[in-house]
Amino acid sequence: MKTIFRSVLLAGSCLCVAGTAYAAEPLVKACAKDGQFIIGFSQANNAEPYRQHVNDELTAAAKEVPGFTLQIADGAGNVNTQTSQVDNFITQKVDILLISPFEAAPLTPAVKRAMDAGIPVIELDRKTVGDPGKDYTAFIGGDNYKIALEAGKYTAKTLLPEGGEAAVLEGLPSSTPAVERLNGFKDGVKENAKIQVVAEQAADWVPDKAQTAFSAMLQAHPDIKVLYASNDMMAAGALLAAKGAGKQVKIIGTDGLPGPAGGIEAVAKGDWAATFTYPTGAKEAIEMSKKILLDCASSVEPTVTVDTTAITPENAKQLSGK
Amino acid sequence: MSEQKISEASGPVAAAPVRRDPLALVVRFQSLIGLVVVAIGGIIFSPRRHGEILFLNPDNIANIVRAVSETGIIAIGMTFVIITAGIDLSVGAVLGLSSVVTASMMISGGFGLIPTILAVLVMGIVFGAIQGTISTRFRLEPFIVTLAGLQAARGLALVVSGNQYINISYGEGPGLAPPVFAVLGERLFNNTVPVATLVFVVFAAIATIVLNTTRFGRYVFAVGGNERAARISGVPVSMVKISVYAITGFAAALAGIVHAGQFNFGSANDGMGYELTAIAAVVIGGTSLFGGAGSMVGTVAGTIMLGALANILQLNNITPAMQLLATAAIIVLAAVLQSLVRRREGLGR
Repeated sequence: MKTIFRSVLLAGSCLCVAGTAYAAEPLVKACAKDGQFIIGFSQANNAEPYRQHVNDELTAAAKEVPGFTLQIADGAGNVNTQTSQVDNFITQKVDILLISPFEAAPLTPAVKRAMDAGIPVIELDRKTVGDPGKDYTAFIGGDNYKIALEAGKYTAKTLLPEGGEAAVLEGLPSSTPAVERLNGFKDGVKENAKIQVVAEQAADWVPDKAQTAFSAMLQAHPDIKVLYASNDMMAAGALLAAKGAGKQVKIIGTDGLPGPAGGIEAVAKGDWAATFTYPTGAKEAIEMSKKILLDCASSVEPTVTVDTTAITPENAKQLSGK
Repeated sequence: MSEQKISEASGPVAAAPVRRDPLALVVRFQSLIGLVVVAIGGIIFSPRRHGEILFLNPDNIANIVRAVSETGIIAIGMTFVIITAGIDLSVGAVLGLSSVVTASMMISGGFGLIPTILAVLVMGIVFGAIQGTISTRFRLEPFIVTLAGLQAARGLALVVSGNQYINISYGEGPGLAPPVFAVLGERLFNNTVPVATLVFVVFAAIATIVLNTTRFGRYVFAVGGNERAARISGVPVSMVKISVYAITGFAAALAGIVHAGQFNFGSANDGMGYELTAIAAVVIGGTSLFGGAGSMVGTVAGTIMLGALANILQLNNITPAMQLLATAAIIVLAAVLQSLVRRREGLGR
């Protein structure tokens, strides 16, 4: 009896020691300056050009670090597929899980399973349910509302100081970024009381629907002077509609994708008035992974907000050359 | 359809051919063979950790069979329809509609677990039966009717959800779902068997018995084999056809409930493209799109094979593009084998 009592005491004291030691312990025990690490990235949907851009930037950033191997799994816009891919990463025991959840609540249990398995989870661009620093390690991303707010303010001050009619093309209705970008822009243009938002239509992020929707808008409101498109793809579709109708409309995109078909090039060519980058956070995510895996960090910044850059005719040429 | 052979109309005979053509045997068990091939490939090419084959890790197996359970449930319903030479394109959308109705009944409607599940299942049955009725009454191609059904179900889901997605939170009281519903996302028996998989397996077992041992099952084969002959020999053809669409509607609703429970979520966009995955699994399983022949076991094996293939490709970090190409190759191979058998049987007579 005595021995049992003693061993219980002993075990208890051991737990205490372990408990205190844990607080200062690194997030990943196997961390090492020259270790080999696998980073698993669970992407929501590769079919969206913005997400492909994230993949490219992540791949490039991970290549810079000798010990890092990046694996990307495409959730293909399906929460079931994405959940099973996260589970696969857990089976593989990746060293860090990066994830852009397609939807918040459905991916929350999978993220919890990863955390329970001792894998730090960095959420990129979209969050699951819960708090960064507790339910998952960290969140890195832009702020959709703020980006659209900037676009609204730019419209109020620079594009339409004299006021006039403006229109909005929304993304997929009921998706979080679509709602945030719509509200942000509308709040931003409120700075100038002479601006009226006369039309809002959903075009589900895709150019063909944007072209159709904006053609109809221009029929109904021939005096639209500014169009805010909630992403670059829809801005491209809107440009076709404006050209088709023979109208000069100042078009604003969102995302600021690089490359010949991207928004930066469109602003540089003078096709659009502006676009506002939605930062990928890829560099920041790899930096944070380095801190956790190479520098044995015991804690990291739970929320990292990456700021937008306004791409305007003034800086577009310089940026598109890059 | 005109090339259908009369002999197939005699029902189960088609499923158990008297003359054992070796190629026909291969086709009959093609998805089982395929599953074995994929499993062996999985074991050989699996990454290893400390000598352990990751592919065979119990968690990994559980993950594979969990991931395929929703499309599997749908594929089982689809097998009935395809054996009657029909098709149901509405199933993915009905899954979305069911997940939304499940979530909103429990969260905003305040309904309990049993009434919600019953209502959603009945809704699925009714939705399917309406499609079947329209198709038989007006002699319309099921392709068209269920294509319209797909649009209708997505539209209804958006109406019910008010363009929002509905999160399911658990607890007692208004606005919360009964906590027991969350069991669909868990594993039983010492955290080994996913509950979603259990639903799939039980449904598959019942469907296998219905298809292979009941009079209704024989009717399904008869209608698909030769509709006119079936009608002449007294098979209630319209009733059978309406029933198989009711079954797919039921299966899609069941999958929708499982979906809502697994992901604590109802969204009108859910289940997009599931109809095509299910059709692929059925075809790989050896069921002929011309009707009259098919196997439930084949469908189940085909479903699991597709899941195992996706799993082993991801474990080896092979791009999703390769996964699509591999699936495409398997579908074509399955279809070619089937057509070879049909032609050989045709020549034999």
